[in-house]
Amino acid sequence: MPDKHLSSQFDADLNSLSSRLLEMGGLVESQISTAMRAFTQMDLETCNVVIQNEKLVNDLEVQIDSACTELIARRQPTARDLRLVMAVSKAITNLERAGDEAERVAKRTKRLIEAGAPHNINVAEIRLSGQMAISLLRRSLDAFARLDTIAAAAVVEEDRQIDEEFRAFVRKLISYMMEDPHTITTGLDMLTIAKAIERIGDHAKNIAEFVIYIAKGSDVRHIPHEDLVREANK
Amino acid sequence: MNKTTNIDPALFSKRKRANKIGLTLSMSAMVLGMIFLLWILGVLFYKGFSSLDLTIFTHSTPAPGSEGGGLANAIVGSLMLVGCCTLLSTPVGVLAGLYLSEYGDRSRIASVTRFVTDIMLSAPSIVIGLFVYALVVAQVRHFSGWAGTIALALIAVPVVVRTTENMLRLVPGSLREAAYALGTPKWKVAFMITLRAAQSGVMTGILLALARISGETAPLLFTALNNQFFSTNMNAPMANLPVVIFQFAMSPYENWVDLAWGGALLITIAVLGLNILARVVFREKVQG
Amino acid sequence: MMANMKTMFDLNQIDSQGGSVNVASNDQPVVAKNALEVRDLNFFYGSFQGLKNINLDIEEGKVTAFIGPSGCGKSTLLRTLNRMYDLYPGQRAEGEINFYGQNILEPGQDLNLLRSRIGMVFQKPTPFPMSIYENIAFGVRLYEKLSRSEMDERVEWALNKAALWNEAKDKLNQSGLSLSGGQQQRLCIARGVAVKPSVILLDEPTSALDPISTGKIEELINELKHEYTIAIVTHNMQQAARVSDYTAYMYLGSLIEYGKTDEIFIKPKRKETEDYITGRFG
Repeated sequence: MPDKHLSSQFDADLNSLSSRLLEMGGLVESQISTAMRAFTQMDLETCNVVIQNEKLVNDLEVQIDSACTELIARRQPTARDLRLVMAVSKAITNLERAGDEAERVAKRTKRLIEAGAPHNINVAEIRLSGQMAISLLRRSLDAFARLDTIAAAAVVEEDRQIDEEFRAFVRKLISYMMEDPHTITTGLDMLTIAKAIERIGDHAKNIAEFVIYIAKGSDVRHIPHEDLVREANK
Repeated sequence: MNKTTNIDPALFSKRKRANKIGLTLSMSAMVLGMIFLLWILGVLFYKGFSSLDLTIFTHSTPAPGSEGGGLANAIVGSLMLVGCCTLLSTPVGVLAGLYLSEYGDRSRIASVTRFVTDIMLSAPSIVIGLFVYALVVAQVRHFSGWAGTIALALIAVPVVVRTTENMLRLVPGSLREAAYALGTPKWKVAFMITLRAAQSGVMTGILLALARISGETAPLLFTALNNQFFSTNMNAPMANLPVVIFQFAMSPYENWVDLAWGGALLITIAVLGLNILARVVFREKVQG
Repeated sequence: MMANMKTMFDLNQIDSQGGSVNVASNDQPVVAKNALEVRDLNFFYGSFQGLKNINLDIEEGKVTAFIGPSGCGKSTLLRTLNRMYDLYPGQRAEGEINFYGQNILEPGQDLNLLRSRIGMVFQKPTPFPMSIYENIAFGVRLYEKLSRSEMDERVEWALNKAALWNEAKDKLNQSGLSLSGGQQQRLCIARGVAVKPSVILLDEPTSALDPISTGKIEELINELKHEYTIAIVTHNMQQAARVSDYTAYMYLGSLIEYGKTDEIFIKPKRKETEDYITGRFG
């Protein structure tokens, strides 16, 4: 069975769309890594790099969205192709927001640095969930590249863990802040950073949900997890 | 992008030459045909025009040796013969053509009918005349206008059948299908749709058949013969232009010869007129 | 609502099945009724098999589209539905086609009556060689006796239904051939609608027309479907997506997939269907 369109230009356009999404994903991934490094090392320079590069992420969103619209206008895609274009259009929003979260991490880190406060709060959880978030994003983009619904379902499952980590960290922060009110300002910045990482995980989960939509045609957002797994395994 | 440099000059001039030769040959053929046509018409007009005056329509054919006279009885007789023949051959021919086109695509009867029609199209008219003589005139022992009508009809019907069938076949199948799709029964499709769509072509066929029989002489020689006097009795010999011309043309009387030329001119004008009318009718309806 | 739905037997308003067709009572949900049910249909052009084992239902009051590449049999299938193939010896159909319960493939059918109940509009506009008024009156006169004023009303009604009244009302006595291509096709639709059939079959009705005429006719189909069952063959997939409720994809004489149009175009079940509608047809 042929997998190529009669129109090779159409093939090229669709492939270009996918690869540009992955390109944007790679950029966002590196933004998050850099931001986490800035936080771990409390390095001002690195923070500024992330903040500067945020513009690139936004530009990519606009360009890819425009490419999606053009494709719909020109080709009137149907079935699988239609689902792909719709999913790409939404996934880049998720990526752009993940990029915003990376910038937020960098900005808060900068504030922490300028306030001069080293962490007297154990931030192992933040580092851990940061790595998990990056891994989750990478795996969701991988699943997208291969349209692998099993891998995508696994991503959705593991996002829960990040959420767990976040909740644990909040509890820990609260007790710290209650003990020592001087740490409240720093603590709030930490909270924001942790929240940003939790949101990155959510965005990765959304992208994974779109993978199932493209491949299987089912919209698995907001449905119970067992049902999602069932759809993914069809 | 002008690729004039790719044109082979030798080939081009050879083609030009061939074109010129072909054009010249066809023009010459046309000119040759036109020369004879114009010559005939010229002679006809020259010789016949002088005898064309009102008396030709008011007086009957003169007795041998008498002066003056006209062609009134012959004109009226021809008109009657042709008219009756049309009334007889049109329905027969159109219905037969309709049958062949709409109903008889595969049947034995249809192929036989077509075959017979084709033969009759080229049957010598004198043979037809003799046939009707044996069949009708010999039986009733006198010549008649009816016999003449029958003979002319035998010549006209194949023409009408052929043209009707051809014109009906030209009607696109999609029109018929559209009528069937409404639940139209077959006979209505044939009469009210297909025939109607082809009506100008069918009429042209009828006019052409008329033009053909207007000038037929041989069959009338054995059937209607001729009548020196004015008569509208179809049951008796009838005067008609072709036979009158035949009789008068080689006679020693001058007024007879003049009248013959006049008659010939009249027939020619009539035939020409019918042909032109047929063309006009066809073109108008097609542009309709 | 569906008061115009008529079975083969009632030409007037009486339903021979003893009751109105498909009337929904207040407390019962309307059960979808099938105008045509095709069962195990096989079709032959001489020894060549044009249709293989077709099974499908055409729901009343809906538009069903048939798509597929050239030679897939969609036009053949359409033409079995009103037994058009009967005009040509050597073509034959086996199986069942139930038109409101009556198998129209049974021998001994009154084909003319059948075709007045299942009408057809063709790809090439074919106005009859008569005036616009006569074009429409012709079909009506075949089976109904109407007074002059009733006929006038029917002609106006039919032309209105085909969105042609305003353009044609001042030239009803002019030849049907004096209209433009798109208008002629609408005249053919008016002609088909005027006899009040139950089903209207459209065989690539807009293939020969420009985009604006096409759009007008698609709009027409959208309005007509409230009162008639419509089956349309089209080689334009986007048209099928725009106008139909159900779509059937055919290939080489077989029915590959049949379902709701939304599903077929967003999430088709068969890979062959998806390959065709996305243009992956090598």
